[in-house]
Amino acid sequence: MLTILGQSARYCDGVARRSFLKIGGFAMGSAAPATLASLMKAEAATPNGNARQGKAIINIFLGGGPPHQDMWEIKTEAPREIRGEFSPIDTAVPGIRIGECFPQLAAIMDRLVVVRSVVGCEGAHDGFQCLTGWNRRNVESIGGRPAIGSVLGKLYGQRDPGIPASVALAEKTSHVPWSEPGPAGFLGAAFQPFRPNGKGMEDLTLNGISLDRLEDRKTLLASLDQLKRAADSRGSINGVDAFTQAAFGVLTSSKLAEALDISKEPAEIRERYGDGKPYKYQYDGAPTCNEQILMARRLVEAGVRSVTLSYGRWDSHGQNFDLVRDHGRKLDQAVSALVLDLEQRGMLQDVTVLVWGEFGRTPRVNDGAGRDHWPQVSCALMAGGGIRPGQAIGATNRLGEYAVSRPVHMQEIIGTAYHNLGIDVMNTTISDPTGRPQFLLDIREPMKELV
Amino acid sequence: MSKKRCVAFRFSLIFATLASAVATVTSASSATAEQPPVSFVNDVMPMLTRHGCNAGVCHAKAGNGQNGFQLSLLGFEPAEDYEHLVKEARGRRLFPAVPENSLLLLKATGAVPHGGGRRIAEDSEAAKILVQWIRQGALWDGSTAPAMVRLAVTPAKGTVQRHQTQQLQVSAEYSDGSTRDVTHRALYESNDRAMAEVSETGLVKVSDLPGKVSVMVRYQGLVSVFNAAVPLGAPVDSFPPTRNFIDELVFSNLKELGVPASPLADDSVFLRRVTLDVAGRLPTAAETAEFLASTAADKRDVVIDRLLASPEHADFFAGKWTSLLKNRRDDASDITSNFAFHAWVRDSLLANKPWDQFVREILAATGTVIGNPPVAWYKRVKEPKQQQEDVAQLFLGVRMQCAQCHHHPFERWSQNDYYGLTAFFSQVGRKPTATRGEDMIFHKRGVATAVNIRSGAAIAPAALGTVIPPIAPDQDPRLLLADWMAAPDNPFFARALVNRYWKHFFRRGLIEPEDDIRESNPPTNPELLAALEKHFIESRFDLRSLVRLIVTSSSWQLSSAPLTDNLADQQNYSRYYPRRLQAEVLLDAIDDLAGTRTDFPNLPPGTRAIALPDNSYNTASPFLRVFGRPENESVCECERGQSSSLSQSLHLMNAGDIRGKLASGSARAEQLAKSELPVEQRIEELYLVAFSRKPSPAELQTAVEYVISPQTDAAGNPIEPARAAREAFQDLVWALMNTREFMFNH
Repeated sequence: MLTILGQSARYCDGVARRSFLKIGGFAMGSAAPATLASLMKAEAATPNGNARQGKAIINIFLGGGPPHQDMWEIKTEAPREIRGEFSPIDTAVPGIRIGECFPQLAAIMDRLVVVRSVVGCEGAHDGFQCLTGWNRRNVESIGGRPAIGSVLGKLYGQRDPGIPASVALAEKTSHVPWSEPGPAGFLGAAFQPFRPNGKGMEDLTLNGISLDRLEDRKTLLASLDQLKRAADSRGSINGVDAFTQAAFGVLTSSKLAEALDISKEPAEIRERYGDGKPYKYQYDGAPTCNEQILMARRLVEAGVRSVTLSYGRWDSHGQNFDLVRDHGRKLDQAVSALVLDLEQRGMLQDVTVLVWGEFGRTPRVNDGAGRDHWPQVSCALMAGGGIRPGQAIGATNRLGEYAVSRPVHMQEIIGTAYHNLGIDVMNTTISDPTGRPQFLLDIREPMKELV
Repeated sequence: MSKKRCVAFRFSLIFATLASAVATVTSASSATAEQPPVSFVNDVMPMLTRHGCNAGVCHAKAGNGQNGFQLSLLGFEPAEDYEHLVKEARGRRLFPAVPENSLLLLKATGAVPHGGGRRIAEDSEAAKILVQWIRQGALWDGSTAPAMVRLAVTPAKGTVQRHQTQQLQVSAEYSDGSTRDVTHRALYESNDRAMAEVSETGLVKVSDLPGKVSVMVRYQGLVSVFNAAVPLGAPVDSFPPTRNFIDELVFSNLKELGVPASPLADDSVFLRRVTLDVAGRLPTAAETAEFLASTAADKRDVVIDRLLASPEHADFFAGKWTSLLKNRRDDASDITSNFAFHAWVRDSLLANKPWDQFVREILAATGTVIGNPPVAWYKRVKEPKQQQEDVAQLFLGVRMQCAQCHHHPFERWSQNDYYGLTAFFSQVGRKPTATRGEDMIFHKRGVATAVNIRSGAAIAPAALGTVIPPIAPDQDPRLLLADWMAAPDNPFFARALVNRYWKHFFRRGLIEPEDDIRESNPPTNPELLAALEKHFIESRFDLRSLVRLIVTSSSWQLSSAPLTDNLADQQNYSRYYPRRLQAEVLLDAIDDLAGTRTDFPNLPPGTRAIALPDNSYNTASPFLRVFGRPENESVCECERGQSSSLSQSLHLMNAGDIRGKLASGSARAEQLAKSELPVEQRIEELYLVAFSRKPSPAELQTAVEYVISPQTDAAGNPIEPARAAREAFQDLVWALMNTREFMFNH
């Protein structure tokens, strides 16, 4: 209490109110922030206690479906109408060659893994599968499957009272499923990610009143809120209390608002990530907002466990090659900057980065120099989180039509991410609202090449 | 050779002599004739189930069967399993020449690499049974072996002191009259692991939590339950006065458990609680003042009757039912159907339509939504299977979903039960009308059947074990289903409703979850549930009478403040369990406190959130979304988010709509700031609205001083008094709104 007064006194306001409150002699015992942590701990089965500290995931969704044969595996053997316009380039790992639009990623291939044979794509223009590993319809009647971020929130809770477990950076796109934030599914609204744009963002920073008046209100609330916490041993009242404290944490610590403010970042680092502008080919999809990738790093650094974002619109039914030149080079810059940045901060071992889309694209280039939908095979780029880097996994056939070696199901990639995050996918279940234990995934073995 | 082992075999005498022989015999052939025959269905299958071979994540067909070896989920289809074990994969799983070297055993004992690890030991009973069965020729006896008819656990109920243990004995009874002890073969599961744990051999260990706990015992598709009372043993000398049979049964249960009841809640808490739970709103300041001032002995009963007859009561429960009945707006053109259905539900509740009548009108609805609004349910629930599942869960408290594909391990429902119930809906005809998206519903002439997807058989209508006489092609089978439900001896219909309503008022169903009623999920107070059912049936399904019975009971009127000895109780109703106000109620309550109004599109100004007809208003109201108002997609009450979250707290503290309500020129804070009344009286008004009580002297002092203390701005200059007063009252309203006392019904 004294601390509150001490801090506020600097603002020279409202002191009179708080002084008398002190004289009034009420117990102002606002619950320590630890309450939330202990609450979360109580309700979660917590595997690998210490291992999870600092573990996080940045899931970069390439909405629209990036052309797998123009990214990490150029089909040099294929005829021209299939191979397209790009040549492969050498990377830092001898023997691994990737598309020419990604020179900076090629230079750090020894920190990356590319998967050239992703299968199991549902074929819908929807980020849902990349965020959950599941079809949107799966167990829909009880709320659907939760995204990685919501699962982390459920199992681990928040790392810091001022910082939510899961943040979704994608701004709403005209084609809405491309900005899927990651559903809480059957875990319920409490585990929805924060969307710092629009309404969510508005609530995160103090609106219309000064920090000082908030302190006044907090003190007033503490002295008036007399309902005995013990009245509810099951914890729903205590839960609200903990969240109230956490909300004060968010509003007063400004940690979250600061993490979202990339102007706090040195100019040199911002330049490394770039800004992805001018935004091209955006239409009804997401912009190539490199700044969100920097923001993701700041959030993870501040204690967010899962950041999702939607990057670009890769639905290249026309002008496929121009689009990949544009989106590819911007992505190349941002993701290579992210991986090196995480490495320099000593976070790369803890933070899993996924870069992928909902499906691949047709082998044969169409009349408009575009490629159409091809759910038979897709691709992914992974980094960090403790995986064994410097690998290219799987391959498609000569024409890039289907996986010929090591087909990797989308759930394996999510499963590997869960593994990196310290979750024992083989044995972890979460009860759905009907009480039925649900595994996180159907395919629960992490990729043996990586772990 | 242990005693249990001997009893486990019917030929115990012979076995006792032979078993030792078996142990020493090394040649496979010489022992064959002398060993007791091992039954595939009664010995081998239970072993596979017990050791988890056919569990969903292992070799169950439903889970795709690891590495191509598929068994039926939990062994409900022995004939299929026999095929897979003996004949499939060119018979490689069994090796009759040297049974011990069968792949089945080598895998299960971990002698060769096995994804599932070592499931059984080489010298275990399970291994011996498998070896003997193979040695005897791996015979199929599914058509000749006696069927198991009954599973009994002893004791079936009992009292176990805290920190004590209880060994269960389980016996199986067969169609040939024989019984055997299967204690070491059965599977056990506690329904509340915090209260009791049970070992693989049926030893129940009770923790320190008092209450009711049950252990489910499964063996070969049958289920039996051990119900335990774990008494606290605290002194329970006196209980509040008994108002009706609810109190008799709640208090006698508490007496048995030795858990004391909290005293009755005071008038303020009672009035706020009953108004919120019955009518979904806060009492007004005037209602509160009148109630607190009244000295009439029956004033609580008078309030209850008034609330029950009020339109808000109908609004509140119409919101509950239209959500479960999926009154959902998927398209702008749904609005007619949404409004008509909601109005029909609300009017039905306002008229206190008997529950069986209400359900019959939905179940057997025909025509168009304009002529007959309950047809709207068939608009959202289109397939017979879905209709059946929804009806079973909503009106019978039975979850049938699992039985579509497999016999549920904890349930008695088979796939034939599933399709028998589905068949009632097989003749629902529909054809498009001139209105977009609206079908006309009619009875399609014909004989009702539904095809069991596994067996391919056409199943005639049958109502959860009740055979229905043949139904003529002209007769709508749905009417017969409604008749069956409303029969006084129906074991599901009344029970499902009273349990659901009990949960609404007591926060915890006598059976939890409220719509998962089955033998293996026993009620915490069976006598009470039975008495409520009887009351409801005898009242001819009178919903209002049921609510009156509940809220007039002393049990419901207990204080939520715990005593030392009932703090841990979470299931025996020794005190009132508080719950956060649901989204709509909380929004209305905030408007009542702030003196504001929330406007909703297409509805008359002043429509309260509790009266919203469908889910479409959630889109425009971040408040309703954040606080978990359902999207009317599920038949489960769990779709409503009742948990709290950081976003909710942030919203209440900081969101634009709340800020607008505090600062509005017509808001209560503004009015109070301008008011000429003494400041104490103004603060009292806030307390009466928010908490239905006057402030305590300490609270009053805090609030008064907050309001009258002089204010300075950041530069140290005094703030102008009018603005200071306005801000002070806004702060007060804000603080009251964010208290737990406000957010909870307690």
